[in-house]
Amino acid sequence: MKRQIPMMILSTIGTIFVLAYFSPGLEELEKGGSIFFDVVACFAFFLGGSNLVRVHIQKIARHNPGWGYSIVTLFGFGLMLFIGLFKLGNPLGIAGAPTEPGSWFQIIFQYCVAPLSATMYSLLAFFVASASYRAFRAKNTEATILLVAAFIILLGRTQLGLVMTSWVPDWLSIAQIPNLAVFIMTSPNLAGQRAIMIGIALGVVSMSLRLILGIERSYLGSDS
Amino acid sequence: MLTNQDHSFSKSHPCHIIVIILSFVFSGFGASAQAEDTATVATYSSDISPAVDLPPITLLAVDTDNDNGGSITISWDDAGYSELPQFRGYEILRRSIQANAPVLVGTAPHGSSSLVDKSVSDDTTYVYYVAATVGEERFVSDSSSHVQSTWQIYNTTLTPLLIALIIVGGSVIFFIETAKRGRKLFLRKIAGLEAVNEAVGRATEMGRPILFVAGIADIDDVQTIAGLTILGRLGRTIAEYDTKITMPTRTSLVMTAGRETLREAYMAAGRPDAYSDDMVFYVSDEQFGFAAAVDGILVRDKPAACFYLGTFHAESLIMAETGNLIGAIQIAGTAQPAQLPFFVAACDYTLIGEELFAASAYLSEEPRQLGSLKGQDVGKAVAMMLILAGVLIMTLASMWELDTMNQLQQLMRDLFSLN
Amino acid sequence: MGESVIGAWIAAFLTLGILTFLYKDNVIYKISEAIFIGVSAGYWFITLFWDNLYRKFWVVGIEGGQWELWGGIILGVMMLCRLSRKIGWIARWPMSFIIGAVAGLYMMLYFTSNAMVQIRSTISNLTESVNVGDPYYIIGNIVVAAGTFSGLVYFYFSKEHKGVFGATAKVGIWFIMVTFGAAFGYTVMSRMSLLIGRIDFLLSDWLKLIS
Repeated sequence: MKRQIPMMILSTIGTIFVLAYFSPGLEELEKGGSIFFDVVACFAFFLGGSNLVRVHIQKIARHNPGWGYSIVTLFGFGLMLFIGLFKLGNPLGIAGAPTEPGSWFQIIFQYCVAPLSATMYSLLAFFVASASYRAFRAKNTEATILLVAAFIILLGRTQLGLVMTSWVPDWLSIAQIPNLAVFIMTSPNLAGQRAIMIGIALGVVSMSLRLILGIERSYLGSDS
Repeated sequence: MLTNQDHSFSKSHPCHIIVIILSFVFSGFGASAQAEDTATVATYSSDISPAVDLPPITLLAVDTDNDNGGSITISWDDAGYSELPQFRGYEILRRSIQANAPVLVGTAPHGSSSLVDKSVSDDTTYVYYVAATVGEERFVSDSSSHVQSTWQIYNTTLTPLLIALIIVGGSVIFFIETAKRGRKLFLRKIAGLEAVNEAVGRATEMGRPILFVAGIADIDDVQTIAGLTILGRLGRTIAEYDTKITMPTRTSLVMTAGRETLREAYMAAGRPDAYSDDMVFYVSDEQFGFAAAVDGILVRDKPAACFYLGTFHAESLIMAETGNLIGAIQIAGTAQPAQLPFFVAACDYTLIGEELFAASAYLSEEPRQLGSLKGQDVGKAVAMMLILAGVLIMTLASMWELDTMNQLQQLMRDLFSLN
Repeated sequence: MGESVIGAWIAAFLTLGILTFLYKDNVIYKISEAIFIGVSAGYWFITLFWDNLYRKFWVVGIEGGQWELWGGIILGVMMLCRLSRKIGWIARWPMSFIIGAVAGLYMMLYFTSNAMVQIRSTISNLTESVNVGDPYYIIGNIVVAAGTFSGLVYFYFSKEHKGVFGATAKVGIWFIMVTFGAAFGYTVMSRMSLLIGRIDFLLSDWLKLIS
């Protein structure tokens, strides 16, 4: 019973959404679904937030390795909650948006979260280099094709690419790197993308049908 | 309110050009609706005499097709007013049959011949008028016939899509049923999925945990759901091998769904006691905050196997490269074409697009699930045939100009609404 | 010291903290990571709370009289049942609701925009130029059609990749690799500029070495 009802809900809602697609007015259903989801996601955050607090309190209580950092995490979390809920230091007071420019909440975001996020993102410059090096060492056809295409696209976006092949006669203009980069983007790249996209669509149809028909139900949990 | 600017020039004319001064139209809407609709007065302006020879504007107001109501399409035949030198545009007027006065619902410039009125109510019947404004005068048409907007339950323009869906969906269901009856279906091996057991085995041997990341999207993303269905299969193997799994999540809903999935997997493996909610935990909704935490887990817990299955963005390479540095066996899968190259470069196996959605069915080894994959292959075969036949027909039709070829080309265009 | 000076020092400490991870895991990275997780989780919670729960639900829903939003709150409360061991199973209902909606909606969206539109775009006259002034359009058109076809052969599950079929699948994966290479090459430059952005922050905003 604890499994049958969720199964029925899933099948019914899934079928309604499929049928609604063929009926004008889907936007309303989609909009309604999206609002429902937003509210549910917000409620669910109480589960996530309480889990975050519990995990770190447990770590501290048990003196697990790195428990000191858990204190920092909990302090950061608590501080943001306190400032954000009561809108402390908000120029417009309790009526202002929490992210009002000049509010303490926004200042902490600006000087903590934003630089942390940007720096974490920038690590990609190093990781892209190491990944390229590995692909370079792979020495199989697929990796070589990937690298060559990447190299041409990269050169095609720089002045160097233009200079390198400026001597190529016009009747062979496709061999000039900027033109070759455009050709790769508009032809083989497009073909690969289309094959991937069509495949994905069929995969989604098949998986969705498995879910709606109740064949796939590993996500549903047990009867306990 | 619309009113005629100059009443002084109005007088009758034998050519019966219907030029209605709007104020008169208003006053003409009296007791009988039928009488009101046909109430017209012929007037003309002396300085635009060519108009006298023009017949009235004819118009058609119909419920807009394939919509959810609240819309009426008005189209008109101008009869030559727009050619007059002082022509300024059209005014479209609407009157509910219960009301006396029409209201202006829109204007249309020179050259236009239709307008969609989206300000109507489904439970009201209307009549429309189109007025050509020439100089200071308005030449108003007869009223349209009564019209009411309605919601069409089925959008007829989507019929080709419905047929295609029936073919693909029907094939999936057909093969599910075929497999259920016990017929053996062949499916080739997928390297990334063959390696799943090897990865779990390796983690068990090394006594190190397995890291599972179901992407960074929420549960309202189909890729996250695909990741969770794979977790369901993987979780069973992990439970059987008695290996530890760590699953950090970016959102609370994915945490909840991940726990349900793993709990079920441990139950199915007959090891419910080995399951703990602590295996799945929420980190932060912040994309790179989550990535920083996963990197921390990777370097501190040193998982022997890492699974990245779901929607990923820029953080894909941050995680996969760190995982690579610690020497973990890594299996990734996503339908994000922009992130696939990074997984291909940094992971041992990558499930490309469709393979991500097929993985759970593959790993289940259940006949019905495998049947669904066979069904989606039919869709692929149809797509391939359509591309091949379509390209040939379109090309040959343009080269040879043969009637049969042109007919086939037209069929193709109609089927896919090609230009 | 003004707020921006203290802020710049904190931001610089955190920036360097994250960058040290490239050398190895260390105390500064761990502190930065702990701050990142705690503060960002709190930030998101508050944003969700005020934007969704307060503004969408309370202001628009309750005060604005959109009572259909109660559906969302009922599902939300069901979700919270997970906090109890006894009635935790009720949380599966809203979960099933969401998964059902996602399955139905995405099935149609993907099928329309990914399958139908892509097949439609591929079916074209090979002798017709899509890009004006492209002298190699015929080759380009052939490559697109052949590449899409062979790429689909690669994804075909029901037949072993052997013989002619295997060779076509091989060509298919090459096309897919070109696609990956193109995405890779296209991204490299933007990733470099991200790093340059952080170095610029350290040198100009923090150390004021560059004006």
